[in-house]
Amino acid sequence: MKNSAIKKRIVVDWSLRLAVFIAAVGVWELFVSTAQNFLLPRFTEVARGVFYLLFSEARFWQALYISNQALILGFAISVVIGIPLGLLAGRFRWMDRILNPYIGVLLTMPVAPLIPIVIIALGLGIAARVFIVVLFAFVFITVNTRAGVRGVEASLIEMAKSFGASEAQIWRRIVIPGAMPAIFAGMRIGLGRAITGMVMVELILVASGLGRLLLEFSGRMQSDLVFATVLAVIIEALALLAGMQALEKRITRWAPDISIG
Amino acid sequence: MIRVRALSKEFGMRDNGAGVLALSDIDFEVHDNEFVTIIGPSGCGKTTLLRIIAGLIPYDQGEVAIDGRAVTGPGPERAVVFQNFALLPWADVLANITFGLEVRGTPPNECRDKARDLIRLVGLEGFEKRLPKELSGGMQQRVGLARALAVNPQILLMDEPFGALDEQTRRLLQEQLLQLWEEQRKTVVFVTHSMDEAVMLGDRVMLMTPRPGRVKEMIDVPLQRPRSPQVEKSTAFVEIKEYLWENLRAMQVGES
Repeated sequence: MKNSAIKKRIVVDWSLRLAVFIAAVGVWELFVSTAQNFLLPRFTEVARGVFYLLFSEARFWQALYISNQALILGFAISVVIGIPLGLLAGRFRWMDRILNPYIGVLLTMPVAPLIPIVIIALGLGIAARVFIVVLFAFVFITVNTRAGVRGVEASLIEMAKSFGASEAQIWRRIVIPGAMPAIFAGMRIGLGRAITGMVMVELILVASGLGRLLLEFSGRMQSDLVFATVLAVIIEALALLAGMQALEKRITRWAPDISIG
Repeated sequence: MIRVRALSKEFGMRDNGAGVLALSDIDFEVHDNEFVTIIGPSGCGKTTLLRIIAGLIPYDQGEVAIDGRAVTGPGPERAVVFQNFALLPWADVLANITFGLEVRGTPPNECRDKARDLIRLVGLEGFEKRLPKELSGGMQQRVGLARALAVNPQILLMDEPFGALDEQTRRLLQEQLLQLWEEQRKTVVFVTHSMDEAVMLGDRVMLMTPRPGRVKEMIDVPLQRPRSPQVEKSTAFVEIKEYLWENLRAMQVGES
């Protein structure tokens, strides 16, 4: 595609996105002004709340820092566990047969009710929070990675074998690069889940980080700041997703575009 | 020399235990520097036979040997060209061509030099950095051919390599392959379902029967080399082709 055409498309895309945003904000404002509910903040109040948090509330940054420890650590562990498990389940039938029921359990299990049990077992420290984040995230990375490995064309593996490739070479040169787009898709979903897990564990029992801040704001009925905190979390998530997508584009330039972010 | 003796291959069916006999009692030889084409009705096991010679699937009975050594797996003296090209979608033309060399531990510099020669040989200059999806089918298969030639095999095993291409492209590639073969004189086993292709390319045509695949007949193609597209008009070419069709047709009457 020509450069000017790409530029034009970017302008059109962003105009449309902006239009959707304005429409959504409009509906929000309209709803708040007709609902007569004093707890519902206007969008403008929430936006002001975001600025307040970012620039005048030191505790917000502290909370963000604390929460992100669990998020980053938990997500990293999820990647380190999730990808190899998915690779093994995808490549080896026997491994898949062993893991399949457990993956089913982990996929459908509601994690939130387990949070108190985990905290009883692991205490109120960071370990429990990290554990919950991992529970929320890793299985989605595993499932996607497995699907990605399964999706690698059998003819490519046969081709590699015909040139005498070893199992290690097949992994490195065929299976892993072939599964890469699906691995990234899994990591995107996993990141979303990890963020959910991070906030949820802080809300339910461990009053720390952003969860503690949220509880405090809602206790004081500062609903604009509750919304603003949620918005700030969303902004951080979008930034992380964008970073991941940029990395993905560099690594999997060859693949058809299946991104969802 | 490739020697196949009393070869049988059965595919196990799931659950009920009864297998399907794909190949039965296959006997033939391919001499060094010979070009043998294999043709038969669909489902006759010709691709299975090629994969067995390639060492990609095991066989049940009989003997498959290359220069007297039994085939137990893929080997450095053989290279395969696949029907669906089997190119790495994430690797550019250059990297695809060097794949076999790299797998076999050739140093990077040498890989690149060889790849450059081959890119010239198959006429892909200027496309080194393209990805497979950016190439036409004909160009993709030229990459597949170059990848196989890169490892300098004695034996080239070609599994309906032009079957997925349109007729015009296919004929151009046939001519190019003939020319290449004149230069390099590899031993070639070439599976096809096209009678024109079988006669045009082969020194001999191996005609197979429907399942279970057996060797019906080995037919000599006494057409002069080097062959030009003109041979298609010769009486010998037309006669062999018609003979093949009579046989193939007789095998398939009542089946379709």
